[in-house]
Amino acid sequence: MMPAEYYLVLSAAVFCIGLFGILTRENALIFLMSVELMLNAANINLVAFSAQYGNLTGQVFSLFTMGLAAAEVAIGIGIILVLYRNFSDVNVTDATTMRW
Amino acid sequence: MAGAFTYAPAIAALPFVSFLVALFLGDRMPKGGALAGIAATAGSLLLSAWVALTVAGGATYNQTLYTFIEGIDTFELTLGILIDPLTALMLLIVSLIAFLVHVFSLGYMNDEGETGLPRYYAGLGLFTFSMLSFVYASNILMAFMFFELVGLCSFLLIGFWFREAAPPSAAKKAFLVTRFGDYFFLVGVVGIFATFGTGAFAGAESFPAIAEQALNGEAEVTTFFGMDPQTWFTVLGLLVLGGVMGKSAQFPLHTWLPDAMEGPTPVSALIHAATMVAAGVYLVARMYGFYALSPTALAIIALVGGFTALFAATMGVVKQELKQVLAYSTISQYGYMMLALGAGGYVAAVFHLTTHAMFKALLFLGAGSVIIAMHHNENMWDMGGLKDRMPVTYWTFLSGSLALAGIVPFAGFWSKDEVLFEALIHGLGSDGGLGTVLLAAYAMGLLSVFFTGFYTFRMVFLTFHGKPRTETARKPHGVGWNVKFPLAVLGVLAATIGFLNMVPLEKLTGIHLSFLHDWLAHGGIEMTTSETYGTLLHDVAGVTAHYPLGELGTTLASAAVSLGLALAGVGTAWSLYNVDEPTEHTDKLGSLKTVLMHNYYQDEYQVWLATGVTYPLARAADKFDQGVVDGVVNGVSSVSLFGGGRMRRLQSGVVSNYATLITTALVVLLVAFGLIGGWF
Repeated sequence: MMPAEYYLVLSAAVFCIGLFGILTRENALIFLMSVELMLNAANINLVAFSAQYGNLTGQVFSLFTMGLAAAEVAIGIGIILVLYRNFSDVNVTDATTMRW
Repeated sequence: MAGAFTYAPAIAALPFVSFLVALFLGDRMPKGGALAGIAATAGSLLLSAWVALTVAGGATYNQTLYTFIEGIDTFELTLGILIDPLTALMLLIVSLIAFLVHVFSLGYMNDEGETGLPRYYAGLGLFTFSMLSFVYASNILMAFMFFELVGLCSFLLIGFWFREAAPPSAAKKAFLVTRFGDYFFLVGVVGIFATFGTGAFAGAESFPAIAEQALNGEAEVTTFFGMDPQTWFTVLGLLVLGGVMGKSAQFPLHTWLPDAMEGPTPVSALIHAATMVAAGVYLVARMYGFYALSPTALAIIALVGGFTALFAATMGVVKQELKQVLAYSTISQYGYMMLALGAGGYVAAVFHLTTHAMFKALLFLGAGSVIIAMHHNENMWDMGGLKDRMPVTYWTFLSGSLALAGIVPFAGFWSKDEVLFEALIHGLGSDGGLGTVLLAAYAMGLLSVFFTGFYTFRMVFLTFHGKPRTETARKPHGVGWNVKFPLAVLGVLAATIGFLNMVPLEKLTGIHLSFLHDWLAHGGIEMTTSETYGTLLHDVAGVTAHYPLGELGTTLASAAVSLGLALAGVGTAWSLYNVDEPTEHTDKLGSLKTVLMHNYYQDEYQVWLATGVTYPLARAADKFDQGVVDGVVNGVSSVSLFGGGRMRRLQSGVVSNYATLITTALVVLLVAFGLIGGWF
């Protein structure tokens, strides 16, 4: 059985890729994908520890996370559609009207 | 036994109902709501009489009806009813006069075709309700509340003819001047609650009772400003006295009363002569157990009263308008009552209050009758010779005038004589400053007896005797039964009510005739009987009687002197004004007359106080408030405003910036925890 450290390194790498996407990109769709990456990094952690301790709770939680991610995408796509309708673009830095 | 007392709340509630009826249904009722008022006050009068009969049987009543603020470990604020002989007497007076004035109003307002009658009768109803509630208030806070309500009714009714220029202005003046006094009263009420933890007038737990125990060292009270109880009680008494002086029109707060004559004459009779103005004096009588503990307060009351009696009487001498003369005489007579209270003559004061209510209401209603006849011309120089044309008014007015002047055997003689007698014997007997002050006040009171006789009969002769001086006076407008009936009732009372208490005659003949003394002496409630007051006055305040000519001799000498002076005043008026074509003899006073006509420039100096002193002071305070106080607050807030303006620039609206901030903050936190936790 592979030691848990490998999974953790993989998870950290995936998380950092997601974070990098959020911090540098302006396209809302890429944002959504980056968020998915970060959620899945967390899932990897859950599954890895679940496997290491022989406890199924972690795997069950990862299923919940997937359901959550699906719901989030549904809302996110909706937001992006509204964004496009209002600003004729899906660039997140354009939508700055909801401030002071 | 409790029968009458069960219905006691209805005495005040009935006029309140008539107030509501007149206000909301008056337009749709015949006579503009007058009948509801008459029925209600008649009901109050009957109930008052029943209560008085019950009290005569020896019963008293002191009950809390409603607690509107219940304190935990502190005082409570309550409404309650206190009925003792003093209350019963005052209830009778107020409801009787209110009833007669309602009847008179039919003639003065309805028959003269006045408009706005529902408003008028609503005002009278509300006033009667407030006054009766004030009379049987069981604690000083309730008394204060109704004291203010009667002031409000006075304001509303003085300004009844609000379309003319003078009445609204007079109403405002009356309201403001009495409010000035009431301000002190309010502070006094708060002080009494803070000191004693109760505002009850009567009973073992009442504030006069606690005050007496505190002076004997039997009870602890909270005093303020490091004063000893005696001084502090004097301060409290004087604060309450502020309200009394405003309401009872005592110098220097008397200036509102002559102007208040702008109101309808029945209102002047009810409110500004017989009842509301009596509220001040009644309040002192109600808490006399408290005043009796402080010789300083007594001396000040006596001095103010004596001075006001003389001061107002001299102004009455030169006035040309019928109601103005009566207004100054009212101020002067209330001065007598204050003098009596200050001199320890509790019974004398209540007696004079009773007789004065009768004869002054009579005189005002008589003046109202003359005013109807003269088509609302009040100048006495336009009258004359009305005696033959309005006999009922003349004879009743004469009865009232003889009572006011203090001619034996009319009511005013007995009461005024007793006031002066008490002032004399206590002035001679008391030691130190109090005795001197009482004697000075007595001298002023005695001197004003002469002036009273003079101005009263100057008024009578100018109005009713001689030849008519104008066309209106030759053919006066007639008056109906509704004017004559109240005049007749009060005319008989003014002549006879003095028989309640004929002390000089009792001393002379040995027959028991001092019924009012008996009436006020009995009663089962602690701290409300004249016997208790007498003991307190003697033991605590040091008021002692001294009879230089023996008891009988002094009584008779005092009576003879006051009667002689009154007769001298009447005689002077007789010789000067009882002629066919009188001339204005007061012109011979020269510049003194100018001063008197201007009321000693009291109004002028009070206006100067307001515009010359208070107004600049208020402006300076406003400057300070706007500049310094508000400046500091605005300065502090401008710092936040500026800081907020800078800080909001963080809020860019760009999602990426927020994400960067969150990530950076998380990293910084992690590094910080790592450094502190020693991971590296």
